[in-house]
Order: sequence, then C-alpha cells, then structure tokens
Amino acid sequence: MFTRHTLAALAAVVAACATPAAAPAADGFADTVKTANRKMVKVFGAGGFSRLNNYGTGILISKDGHILTVASQILDTADLVVHTYDGQRLKAQVLATEQEMDIALIKIRKDGKKIDEENGYDFDFFDFAESAKRAPAQAGDWVLALSNTFEIALRDEPLSVQRGVVSAYTKMAGRRGVFEFPYTGEVYIVDAITNNPGAAGGALLNRKGELLGIIGRELKNAQSETWINYAIPVTAKAEVKELVTVKDKDGKDVTQEKVTTVTMTDFVNLATQGKYKNIIRPKIVGEGGGYHGIIFVPNVLERTPAYIEDVVPGSPAEKAGLRPDDLVSFVDGEPIISIKAFNEFVRKNTRAGTKLRLEVRRGEALQTVEIELGAQPAKPK
Amino acid sequence: MTLPLPKSARPWLAVAAVLVLGAPAGAQPKPDLNEATEKAMKAASAKAAPTIVKIETAGGAETIGKKAPPGKGPPAIRKGTGPTTGLIVSEDGYIISSAFNFANKPTEIFITIPGQTQRLVAKIVATDHTRMLTLLKVEGKGLPVPEAFPKKDIEIGQWGLTLGRTLDNNVDHPPSMSVGIVSATNRIWGKAIQTDAKTSPVNYGGALVSIDGRVFGVIVPASNRAEGETAGVDVYDGGIGFAVPLEDIFRVLPRLKEGKDLKRGLLGINPQGNDVYNAAPIIGAIQPDSAAARAGLAVGDKIVEINGIAIPNYSVLQHVMGPMYESDEVNLKVSRGGKDLEVKGVKLLGTTTMYVNAFFGILPMRDDPGPGVEVRYVYPKSPADVAGIKAGDRIMKFGPSALPAPQPVPNRAAFIGMLQRLTPNTEVKVEVKRKEGDKVETLTSKVIAAPDELPEKLPLPSTAGKALEGQPKPKDPNPKGPKDPFPPGFSDVRAPLNGAAQDEKKDKPKIETGFMTRNNQALGREYWVFVPDNYDPNVSHGLIVWFHPAKEGGKDGEKMAKTFREFAEDHHFIVVGPKSGNADGWVASETELVMQDVKSVMGQYTIDRTRVVAHGMGNGGQMAFYVGFNARDVFRGVATIGATLGTAPKDNVANLPLSFFVSGGDKDPLLKEIVESKDLLKEKRFPVTFREMKESGKEYFDLKTFTDFLAWLDSLDRI
Repeated sequence: MFTRHTLAALAAVVAACATPAAAPAADGFADTVKTANRKMVKVFGAGGFSRLNNYGTGILISKDGHILTVASQILDTADLVVHTYDGQRLKAQVLATEQEMDIALIKIRKDGKKIDEENGYDFDFFDFAESAKRAPAQAGDWVLALSNTFEIALRDEPLSVQRGVVSAYTKMAGRRGVFEFPYTGEVYIVDAITNNPGAAGGALLNRKGELLGIIGRELKNAQSETWINYAIPVTAKAEVKELVTVKDKDGKDVTQEKVTTVTMTDFVNLATQGKYKNIIRPKIVGEGGGYHGIIFVPNVLERTPAYIEDVVPGSPAEKAGLRPDDLVSFVDGEPIISIKAFNEFVRKNTRAGTKLRLEVRRGEALQTVEIELGAQPAKPK
Repeated sequence: MTLPLPKSARPWLAVAAVLVLGAPAGAQPKPDLNEATEKAMKAASAKAAPTIVKIETAGGAETIGKKAPPGKGPPAIRKGTGPTTGLIVSEDGYIISSAFNFANKPTEIFITIPGQTQRLVAKIVATDHTRMLTLLKVEGKGLPVPEAFPKKDIEIGQWGLTLGRTLDNNVDHPPSMSVGIVSATNRIWGKAIQTDAKTSPVNYGGALVSIDGRVFGVIVPASNRAEGETAGVDVYDGGIGFAVPLEDIFRVLPRLKEGKDLKRGLLGINPQGNDVYNAAPIIGAIQPDSAAARAGLAVGDKIVEINGIAIPNYSVLQHVMGPMYESDEVNLKVSRGGKDLEVKGVKLLGTTTMYVNAFFGILPMRDDPGPGVEVRYVYPKSPADVAGIKAGDRIMKFGPSALPAPQPVPNRAAFIGMLQRLTPNTEVKVEVKRKEGDKVETLTSKVIAAPDELPEKLPLPSTAGKALEGQPKPKDPNPKGPKDPFPPGFSDVRAPLNGAAQDEKKDKPKIETGFMTRNNQALGREYWVFVPDNYDPNVSHGLIVWFHPAKEGGKDGEKMAKTFREFAEDHHFIVVGPKSGNADGWVASETELVMQDVKSVMGQYTIDRTRVVAHGMGNGGQMAFYVGFNARDVFRGVATIGATLGTAPKDNVANLPLSFFVSGGDKDPLLKEIVESKDLLKEKRFPVTFREMKESGKEYFDLKTFTDFLAWLDSLDRI
C-alpha cells in the first residue's frame, strides 16, 4: 500500500513538474484515466462471507453492455449486479466462462428485455478485437490498472487507478493454495500492487489507454513463492487437451487426445454471439508417462538432485548414452530441481515415443542428450 | 495539480525536468513526459541487462529457516523452484548474488549469461556474511561488467529500477523491472542503499540501477533488526528494499576471489549504560582477547574518534563500525583520565571470545555499608574455600596478583565490579579480616569460571540490615574513593520516595505490604505486587517479575504470592506480576510498558539491583527471556518454565551480567527446543542452571526444582 502511495506521489510530481517545464505538455495519464473509467463497471454477486468477497470489476467491451471479467465465484448467482461509471445499478447475466483462462463474459440485462434483445444501451467500451491485434507491451512500459480493489468505490465513484510498469511479459507459473492455476500462457507481471480482493476483472492499460489485459485473481508465484501482480493479456491463448472418440480404419471406436487452442479473442467473439461452448475436458489420467530406464540414487532428501545411479541395460537411457553419476539438470530446457520434479515431468508430459532433450551435468560441464522414451515394460507378476 | 511537492521528490524533479528539456526545443509542440520516461527506463534496463544473469539450482531443502512450532518464532520460508538472479562482476566469470538464493543449500548451480545459449556450471567461491552476498564463478572471458554508480554521487530521490531474472526464463528478454527511487543511503549500519522499488525473491541478487543504467548495487533482503540470509524477506515488495553498493562489492572482490568468507570486523567492546544516543561512548566492558583487548583499551576509556571520524555516542560508533570487515585496521583516539590517546592500526577480529564470568566463591552479606564485604557463605571447593576463607570473615582488599598491591573493597557492589574485570584463572590476592580476633591476613587464590551448581543450603541471615546507612545519597555522588562500577540507580541505594526521603529518620512513610493490585491510570495498565509483611526499608529486597502464561491474564497473582510468601519473607523478595494486554499472550512490544510497572515498584521499595529476575512460564517464559535481554540494565536473572528463546540470545557481557534458570517438563512436546535454547545460552557462556522435571508437562516447578530455584534466586549476587 506504501508503494501505491509512492507511485501516486510520483504521478503527481510528473504532472506538476511537466507543466512549468514545457507549458503545452500533455498529461497522458490523466486523459487516459478519464476516458477509461467510463468503460469499467463494478460487479457484485455471490459471496460476502468467510473471506470470499462478493465484489469484483468488469471491462465493458460492447455498447450493449457485454462485460469481460474473471470466472470467479461471485458469478455463481442469479442476482448478478453491476454499477456503471454514472452510478446506474443494473442486472447482469453470465453468458459464458472459460476456466482455462479464468475469464467470463457477462452482459447487462434490461428489465423486461431478453438477454439477446436489442436493449438500447450505448455504453463507452474497449474495442476488444483491436486490442487483441496489437503487439504485447514490454518490460518497462508504463501501465495503468483500473479496478475496484477492496470495494473502495460504489455506484458512480470512480475506480482506483494504479500506475506502474510492465515488470515482465512471461509465462505464468502460479498456484492458488495447493491447486495449480490452469492458465500457463503469457501474462503481464505488473510493478504495482494490482491483485487484491475486488481487483479481479479490472483493466490493465498502456499509457495511451489501450486495453492490454484483464487483472486476475490473487495468486502466488510457484517460482519465487511470492504474491504476484499480474494481468492475463488480451492476446492470451491456452492449449486444451481433450479426449475425443474417433473411428479407426476398421470402424472401431478409439479414444484419442486432441489439442485445441483457445484464444481470448475466440472466446469473446463466440460468447458475444451466444455461441461459445465450453469444451468438456475429462481429466486426462496419465499412464505413468514414457519409459526411460533411469535408476536414480535413493530419493531421501526433500529435493534429492536427479543423480543417475544406474541405467537399465537395453533401456532408452542406455541407448541415449546416459551414465551413472550423470546429473539430470534440465529437460527440454526446464530445470529439474529434484528426482521428484523429473518423475512429475515425465508423468505429465510424455508417453511412449516422446523425444526429450536432457541436459546432464557430467563432470564440470553440461552435456545434451537426446532420449526417445519407450513403452512402460509390463510389471512382473 | 495543487499537491505540494514532497521535499524528497526534488532531485527526481530535476531528472524529470532534464528529460523534458532534453527534447529538442520547439521540435515537438507537445513533449510527452510519459513517453520520455518510458524510453529512459527501458534504456537503463537495456544497458544493465547483459550483466544480469539467470541462476538455476538443483537439490537443497524445500524451506529455509528453522521450522518453529506454530506461534513460536518466524515461520520457515518456502524456497521457490524458479530461477534467481546474479550480476557479473568480472570479465573472467565471477558473479555476485544474494546469499538468500543459496540459503537452501542447493547441490548444483547453473548460470545462463545473456547472449549465450549454453548453461554454465557454477561454483560458490565465497560468502560475505556481513552483506549476505555470495560470489560464484563460471568459466568465461570477455564478459561485460556493469558500471558502478559512485556512492558519493547517490542522492535520495533519484530514480531506481530493480532488475531480476526470475520471471522470464529467456535471458535475452529484458529483465523484470520494478520502478522506484533511492529512499535512503547508509542503511543497515552503513551497508546498504534503500529503495522503494519492489525487491523480493524475484530479483534478490539482481541490480538496483539508476535511470542512466549504471548500477547502484546488488539487491539483497536485509533488516536492521535481524541478521542472516532470510532477514528482511518477510517484508518483500513492502516498499522498503535494500541493495549493497556495487562500489563496496568491487572493493572487497579481491578478498572474496581468494575464497575467503568475509565476516564482520569486531572491536570487542560493550558500552557503559543503555543510552546509545545521548551518552558519551565509554567502554563498559571489553571482550577477552578481542581487538580492543589486544590494543590495550581499558574499561572506562572514552572513544573520541575512529579513523578520524568524531564519535559522539555509541550509535555513531555502531554506524562507523558496521561496514567494517575482519582484519580491517582502524585508528582510534580514546580519552583516558582526561588525556587523549592515539591507538593506531587496531586489527579487527571476525570472532570474539565470549566473556566468561569470573568467580571467587562467596555469597556476600547484603546491606552492609562497609568498608569491606562480610562473607555470608563460602562455596565448597571454590577458590575462596581453597584459600581458607570462612563465613563471617570480612574481605577488605582484593586484586589480581599482577598488581603491586590489592585494592580496597569498599562494598559489595564494588567487589562485584572488581570480579567483572577479571578473567577466569587469574591469580588474585585477598586481604581478609578474620571473624575471630580481627586478625588481618593476605591470601592468594585463583578465580575460576562461574559454575552452574547451586549451593546446597542457604545460610541466614543474608542481610546486615543497613541498606540505608553509609551509602552515598542520591544526587550526591561520593567524590572520593573508587567509582561505583554501577551507574546511578544500579547500586543498593533506594530511590528517593516521592522525591523527598532524604532522611529516613524524619520521614517514615507508612509502607504497604501484602498482596496488592495496582493501576496505572495514565497507561491504563493493571498489575499486582506482593510485598512480604516483614518488609523493612533497611533490608534490600530481590524482585521477581512474574510473566503469567498466555490466557492467564494476571489471574494467577494470589496463587503466586502464596507460593512465594515464606521464601519472600525469609530471603527478602518482592514479587510483581504485570498483565499482558493481549488475550493470546505476551508480545515483545509490551516490554516498555512492563518496565514502567517494574520501575514504579523499584522506586517505592528498597530493591537489591543484583537480584532482579524475570520469571515466567510458557509464553510468559518466552517474554521473560525477551525482557531479560532487552532490559539488561535492570535484570540480572531470567528463570523460565517450558519456554523457548524467541530470538537468538545476545552476548554475555561483563558489565551487564545475566544468569539463567531454565526448566522444562519431560512430557512437554517443546522439551527438545527448550534444551536447544539452554544450549544456545551456554554457547554464549552465560551461567545456566537447567532442570528437566519428571512426569511434568506444562506445570509450574515441582518441589525439588522449586527448592533449587530458590537457591538460585538467593545466590544471584554470588561473587
């Protein structure tokens, strides 16, 4: 919170000193915020007990009142309400949610009108399609975050604005409690304390007021064990694995894994037209991954380094030239901090036939070793 | 735009103005300040980026720090699995990073240098324990080295960007950035620059850079309240972050490259008194075999200058000494007996030998104006016993044999002070006046280290009953004779009652005794006090400050008073029970309020300053440890039941002695930690008596232990 004040003070300094230094200088931030505030709503729904807040933020993306927000528990209600910038209190309804990106599309509903009927509203809004076409912002770009963090604003009160820079544009590695966060695509990490209760669904803008992303829920970064401030970019896409049943040559049903790419743009487009269908994704249970034939040293420490004790004769590991005392350090570029991490990687990401690029420490240098995994040998009975 | 400009923002304003005015005059009708600053920030990051490396580790522990039971001590910190950051400091592959990044003791370290695809295997070369930095080495040549921002040019309010490599796996991308300013310089005893840009495990080991891309320093977690690799991590992203100046790192780099771990340089002195801000820095104690001892400094010397810097008080001394390393040399100017003395080339040591209390082997008779000290009890087989001293003898002179002659012993307090200046195994000469026939003899003996054993029996009487006689009156310090080693208020003198009790014969106020509940209206506090019915102002009383266990809320007062009644009457103790204002038990911040209660009792009764004890059970015991260490000018003993040390113990110091009586039940799940606490105190060479109680969980002392405890209480003024 200290940080927020400091940033606010800096913003004031920028504004104050710019004027005498060069009279006609524009104050970009102030103009940006004035316009942006009209395109935002406060969202109120389910919750309000035992640490689950019942408030959030939403981004208007059509004149009719389509609102992009996060797929949080506050949407689990028939009495969803939004407050617009001019103080109107309006009912809203969920059109679609997408868990993979933790986003939802809701729409304002006029009393007496059906949800998909022309409602005569004419809201200011962010042009989502245009936003999604722009190149992503980079570390060091100024950003403004608008949200109803801590429910500080009601009705026509303006949202809270925070200023910062993009700290990084990078892959997400978050976790919420013990659950892994589903979205693992690119995110904006923000240098401002943006992700607090109520902020989820807020807008991240560049200094010109263009929509960069949507502020997510509170999460910890599994990489550094710190709380992160982040927004999911409008260009987000998620790869979704699902199982589909297809007929093989002989007309028999076989189950296959199919990877579908879901983008936020597709979601917004289809959901706006009422056509978005959630893909049903049965949990894909791994079969233990591919077989490597590495025998590691006894796993006795919290993070036992993945030292190879031996390789099974004739196994993929032996064929690849792995040797006792090699330390498996990276797999496909991912650091392997322990035997457990290696096993997890193999279980989650591989099957028979998967090729992996291992970097092993042998002596004082790292060697790259290609290994093609085989099928798990039958368990001895 | 009516906001007044904060003062600290002025240098910042200058930067902003430069950015604005720097644009070609008139070329752009509307220069956009935001665009200009954005460009400047990115350029600064880009300039430093090639020197900021990614560090990955394998193995090691999941968590850092000791796992403490819930509610006891700081929680262990989970170490992230992601990469961390380092900064290249020489073209041949030396990389400096934060020691935090290796606190979980990983077995393997890999480094990726921007522009290089291959990861490199790194080795730890050395650790700088004063600044919590680790130097690593990889194979390399021709690597880029950052330009250090000169320390003398750093101004508070300047832009500061923190850069790190945790968030983005690709080192050819820009490092992660957080933006702020330089909040302060010379923090953490002159070792760090402070910034409000975010610092966290995301960028520890990375760089704090100026808006022109030069490096101010290397980001580390740090705290002025604690030391160690995790100190300060709890306030990550909290608007208060630290970086060690790169200029300082470059200066010690040759030493680190030799593979030498760097430690703090210690002088080995302790101040006289507790006021580090106002009082002159007079040496109160010197650690044995320390740099100060080797240089011939003496208790009572006043430090005037260090390396030409004037030292008006102990706080300045700490700031001047804070950045120093082991084997650094300092030049001192001290004042001894009114004359200035130059002591040049004092080589600082990295470790100090703990002070060990010297012991002669007697209990003195209390409240005896002297001259000399009457022997109340002689410890069997002690140096005093071996020399042939008997109870009832009066010790008239005492001193190390090295001196030409033993010095007169004016009273008990002075005798205690004499022992504090001796180290065990020093030969001493003692002049005694025998009880029988007033014969005067000079004996020779050798003082030893204070034992942990307690005397078996407690001879009575323990007092001569003349506490108010023959003592220098307050505000009338004795101009003659050796100086009382205790500062005012430290000797056996009773504080003036209502500021008027100059002559106890004319003014005999009625003194309340028994169990009493007191209120401090001004502070809204309540406490109880038990004064034995045989209280006599001419007999100095020990003071037991009882810290109730959590949730007792001071309701155990009458019970405690009953427990101590008989002992308090026989051995002259007063018991006081402050009350925690916190339903869940004591918190450290209550220390000052508690001391108000304690001091008001000390002002009302004749208190023996050598027997003031903090006593508590469970959470109250932890508080007793804390208060004992943090109000050392008052407490001489700490006695606990079922309690662990909340924080690391401080050093044993000659002029602020502390004895411990630590106990725990064999059924207490915390017993292991209690034993560890006891061992930590022993490591610091405090006298510690430890008792494990059988068939006990979290109950008060059993009878046997209580008896030992009473013996300990009554022998706190042993000499």
